[in-house]
Amino acid sequence: VGAVTKLSAVFWLGLVLASGFATFMVKYAVQGVDDRVQQIRKQTVAEQQEIRVLTAEWTYLNQPERLADLNERFLHFAPITAQQLQQTIAGIPLRAPAPAAPAPAAPVPAPAAVVAVIPRPGAPRQSPTTDRPIAVAAFGPLLASADVPVPVATVASAPAPASLDALFALVAEKR
Amino acid sequence: MTTAAAQPIDENPCRPRHFRPPPTCEPVVADERAAALLETCRSRLVAAAALFALVFLVVALRLVEVVLLPGTAAESHIARVRPVGLPPPVRADLIDRDGRLLATTLESPSLYADPRQIIDAAAATRAITAVLPQLDPQELRAKLASHKSFVWIKRHLTPHQEYEINRLGIPGLQFEPEERRVYPYGDLAAHVVGFCGIDNNGLAGLERALDRKIRTGAGPIQLSLDARVQFILRDELRKVIDDFAAKGAAGIVMDVRTGEVIAMVSLPDFDPNHPGVADPNLPPEEETDEKQRTFNRITLGDYEMGSVMKIFNSAMVLDSGVATMTSQFDASHDIRVGRYTISDYHGKHRWLSVPEIFMYSSNIGSVREAVAAGAARQRDYLARFGLLSPAPIELDEVAKPRYPNPWREVNVMTIAFGHGLSLSPLNVIEAGSAAVNGGVLHPATLMKLPPGTAPAGRRVISQQTSEEMRKLLRLVVEYGTARFAQGSGYVVGGKTGTAEKNQRGRYELKKLVSDFFAAFPINDPRYAIFTLVDEPHGTKQSQGYATAGWTVVPATKRIIERIAPLLGVAPVDEASPAVVDALTVKSLQGKKIEAY
Repeated sequence: VGAVTKLSAVFWLGLVLASGFATFMVKYAVQGVDDRVQQIRKQTVAEQQEIRVLTAEWTYLNQPERLADLNERFLHFAPITAQQLQQTIAGIPLRAPAPAAPAPAAPVPAPAAVVAVIPRPGAPRQSPTTDRPIAVAAFGPLLASADVPVPVATVASAPAPASLDALFALVAEKR
Repeated sequence: MTTAAAQPIDENPCRPRHFRPPPTCEPVVADERAAALLETCRSRLVAAAALFALVFLVVALRLVEVVLLPGTAAESHIARVRPVGLPPPVRADLIDRDGRLLATTLESPSLYADPRQIIDAAAATRAITAVLPQLDPQELRAKLASHKSFVWIKRHLTPHQEYEINRLGIPGLQFEPEERRVYPYGDLAAHVVGFCGIDNNGLAGLERALDRKIRTGAGPIQLSLDARVQFILRDELRKVIDDFAAKGAAGIVMDVRTGEVIAMVSLPDFDPNHPGVADPNLPPEEETDEKQRTFNRITLGDYEMGSVMKIFNSAMVLDSGVATMTSQFDASHDIRVGRYTISDYHGKHRWLSVPEIFMYSSNIGSVREAVAAGAARQRDYLARFGLLSPAPIELDEVAKPRYPNPWREVNVMTIAFGHGLSLSPLNVIEAGSAAVNGGVLHPATLMKLPPGTAPAGRRVISQQTSEEMRKLLRLVVEYGTARFAQGSGYVVGGKTGTAEKNQRGRYELKKLVSDFFAAFPINDPRYAIFTLVDEPHGTKQSQGYATAGWTVVPATKRIIERIAPLLGVAPVDEASPAVVDALTVKSLQGKKIEAY
């Protein structure tokens, strides 16, 4: 009986020590995590403060007046004219063939009302619209309907093209 | 019995320390009282032990729960943790309709001193003024040598200045963390946004009008302004001022369907970051005083608008049934009232129909229309258009229209062509929008409405009258005074006005106010623009004219060309049958229309 009691006492004592140790370990671990949380909190607040300052600075650097000035100096973008905005494929005039200068990059139909205006170097601030890229802005349906009249300059009697690719192919063929 | 009773007590592990077992040789006194006492003790011990065991069990279970079973107690704890983040600034941000920052609050430390701790005031003054050269050394030295315990040295330092001051290592200098209002776009929307005092109290514009909301609201406040449109409007108006050596100019763009103000510019203006400081780029003779620059011409200005008032005169006669599009009025002779003579600038000297009166901007015809309608009806319609009360807008700086009292016959006549009634440009654009948008007046607002909302508004004129007004406005652009607004690709309609300024009761020939109300696309208006230029002077290019047709009309055309793509307005084909049908005046069809 004495041996069993002793053994059980040792067992329980061991258990107490182990659980005590485990508890303190957990406690210190939690304290560590807590410190880290505090640190991250502080850091987040500092970062957010920084973001506020940077947003203000970014906005300051994007003053329309400043951008207009930079545009004048480096890019020579001009406002988009009404002629450059077309609602249907049919409305796009064909570009007059440029004899001397190589043709500028092909215009990219821009999504929504975001229109890329590619300036021609050397000829800034001019109003002729034919040499400006033309973009189709999606104010309404792009291809109004299947029986869109085909641009007069391309084909007179050919059937209406089914897709943009087909139209481009047609135009290339006619040229 | 006695030994049997003593034995368990002796072996009881929970026995109290003070209990000594009696010597076994002596018989225990079989005392009934002692036995009962022992019994009580034991039961109390058992109860206490059970209680402790229970508590330890709870602790053990809790430990198991916290450590070994994830996702129960721990998560509910996490949910209780307050969100990380900056405390909201003392003043909420103001942003434009696309989220661009118009006003924000940044932390900026302020420098103060405890003069009692300053050892050498003279040396400290030298050191501080080396870092902050804008301070007055004399004044600073007097402050530092005083016997107070707190003096401000400089409010709102930059981080670099803070660093430099810290580097001086002068005892007695302290920083107070403060917040400062910053306007990154500077003078772009100065009159709308307004400005704050040094203690972050709103003093002008929306900063003042929405002061309470800005202080309590945590999130940013979104305005209806579009910074891009605002810039374009300001840019073009500045050109008008430069070209015509004008005293000032003002412009406003409004969404006619909602009453949202997209842009509002009043020139000259100021930098809200430094209100009251003159623009250093301007030569001294062009420097205008502070009152001029902080004056919001759009809301506070009151001007006699001239012929623009004929919009409301025509709408009145058409809507009330006094006249139809084919009615004619005698405009062959000047009208004499007392010592005044009312005449036309380019008289046709014949009977004119209602569209012709509007197109040729005939004063005589307009007077005849107004007289036919009568004073009561005129007053009623002007009140309906909101032209007899201050325009409702979020700003505090709003002028009350000035109108004659009593409303005599001569006033009826002069108001018909825009004299004798002073309005703010905001009044005019609000009423003008109602005239073209289908007849519903929407109060002007500077707050962005959720997209797709259609505020109810108040019906002013019938849908049909509004459609007729669009045709009339288009006529003015096609054949009348606003022909320079043609060819933008967005089918503009509008009415010009040029009025002599009434100064101390006398009209001065040389001092004009030229203004232009326009809407586009006029077949189905989306936006209205009102521009006004104060005291323009004719130039060689304008053949000496300073009237609206030569000043603000070309500017408005350029503005429309630039802002329409940004606002998502599609170009309109003027020749398309639908547009032609919507804008043709049937009674003038087939007739040869004389140019203005």
